[in-house]
Amino acid sequence: MFNKPIDLAGAVAFIALMAVLPLVFGGNYLIGVLTVSVIYGIWAVTWDFMSGLTGRENFGHSLFIGVGAYTAGFMNTSFGINGWWSIPAAMVMAALAAVLIGLPTLRLKGPYFALAMLSGAVIMQRLMLIFWEQTGGEEGINGLTPLIRSQLGFYYFALAVLVAITALLLFVARSHWGLILRAIRGDEATCQAAGINVTYYKIASLVISAAFAGAGGAMYAHYQLQVSPQLFAVVTSITIITMVYVGGMASIYGPVGGAILLVLLTELLRNFGEWRLMVYSCTLILILFFLPHGLVAPMWRRLRSALQAGTSAPAPRATLPLAADGAAREAE
Amino acid sequence: MSALLELAGVNKHFGGLLAVKNVSFSVERGEIVGILGPNGAGKTTLYNLLTGFIAPDPGAKIVFDGHNLVGLPPHRIAGLGISRTFQLCRPFIGMSVLENVIVGALGSRRREGAALDAQAQALLARVGLAGKEGVPVEVLSYGDQRRLEIARALAARPALLLLDEPFAGLGSGEIADLSTLIRQVHGQEGLTVILIEHKLREFMRLVGRVIALDFGEVIAQGAPEEIVRHPAVIEAYIGRDSPIEEGAHAA
Repeated sequence: MFNKPIDLAGAVAFIALMAVLPLVFGGNYLIGVLTVSVIYGIWAVTWDFMSGLTGRENFGHSLFIGVGAYTAGFMNTSFGINGWWSIPAAMVMAALAAVLIGLPTLRLKGPYFALAMLSGAVIMQRLMLIFWEQTGGEEGINGLTPLIRSQLGFYYFALAVLVAITALLLFVARSHWGLILRAIRGDEATCQAAGINVTYYKIASLVISAAFAGAGGAMYAHYQLQVSPQLFAVVTSITIITMVYVGGMASIYGPVGGAILLVLLTELLRNFGEWRLMVYSCTLILILFFLPHGLVAPMWRRLRSALQAGTSAPAPRATLPLAADGAAREAE
Repeated sequence: MSALLELAGVNKHFGGLLAVKNVSFSVERGEIVGILGPNGAGKTTLYNLLTGFIAPDPGAKIVFDGHNLVGLPPHRIAGLGISRTFQLCRPFIGMSVLENVIVGALGSRRREGAALDAQAQALLARVGLAGKEGVPVEVLSYGDQRRLEIARALAARPALLLLDEPFAGLGSGEIADLSTLIRQVHGQEGLTVILIEHKLREFMRLVGRVIALDFGEVIAQGAPEEIVRHPAVIEAYIGRDSPIEEGAHAA
């Protein structure tokens, strides 16, 4: 069972920590790293909402990120539209991309959806190079205006967006809607036999996931002040999936922690120079090998039941592997 | 009164194999009908045709409660009030027993929003799964999974319940319990039930009418006691010119 007061306290503690970190340690470098980690957090939660809950792996989340970022780039530089319009416009364009890919592929069983997402992202990256006269090719689009001039201000804005998106997606995931998404992961045929329009729910969850990922893409564009075809890179999608795994699939809040941990880890490992990638990969392999359910969400669950046992009367059932909090439990 | 379910001229080819051959029958409201037949007779295919999981060959007529079912997707057919269970239990893996039953109710248009949890708990108590609400479905025993399948199917408040070998793999005590449950559901709610079964003895006591299938064809229809004596049925099960003895052979 999830416990409202303890969960809420955990969320507040997390937000307070993230808000205070740059004030204590200061420096634009740290603020920059944290901003990137928070934006990756947005991408990881949105991935988890669709793919974690329904079990339909999306190997091209970068497609929505890129579409969002380029929407921001075009609107802001070519048409000189105020940067704040980028975010809603990016959401609409990314949602449109989700409908275009989801409609034909999410009706089917099998790997079509995963492959279509992967190739969709790769094709878009190519197209950005082919139509270089419009898109700036390898250089991308430069000279976007910042949304908020102060670095710290933008970081707080990104953090607020992350918290809002996570809260919203958590709310949906714990509603009947989320129950249906998890049931789709459990058994699609049984869902249909229960009268559930499986295709509708899969496409709708992809559209929601894409819209918020696109918003994150637009924010990233206005943070870097430029967009490049690299945004569509497969590596980005894989990194996001890794973050979700480390965070704890289908828990929604876990991937936020996973994203922040992995971005910070990447930065901490800079001292290792050329060994960095190897250390990073080995750490990941160890985490996934020893903690197949991830790190962040299972740790929080353990902490929560410890706190529960401490505050209320002895609750021996709290440690039983009950499925009530099964949002995150894997179907192996 | 017109029949609740009516099939006419239903065929299904899989390549060169005719899995269901010109099947026609009807089921009245409130009946318990058994579908009997050896392995491969086309019983499960018939269910898949009825529930929209596979499409019949052109020219078939399947009418339920005045609605033509041919061409409708499974979720629409379920929405009209047909619930089914699967031959091999197919629970929602990764979710609790209670959540499984709640999802069963979510697709139904006849649900009454708020009381969903309470309804699901009442259903679980009724099928004998009280106290196991929070248990992950993966750890349920086989018998309990069967009960859960039925609870999930009932959660949608169907008018017609299709059970696919509900007794398969159960012990005799469990079979008796389950038959009682099916009788209760049928008696209290006037639910129409069709079930596929191999276990002749319990099955024959439960159903009011039997439709026997062999090689995709309806070979006999009638009261259970007539069916066990029907020459075509005996031939389908134990071959020609064998001494007739009830029950045991077909189990």
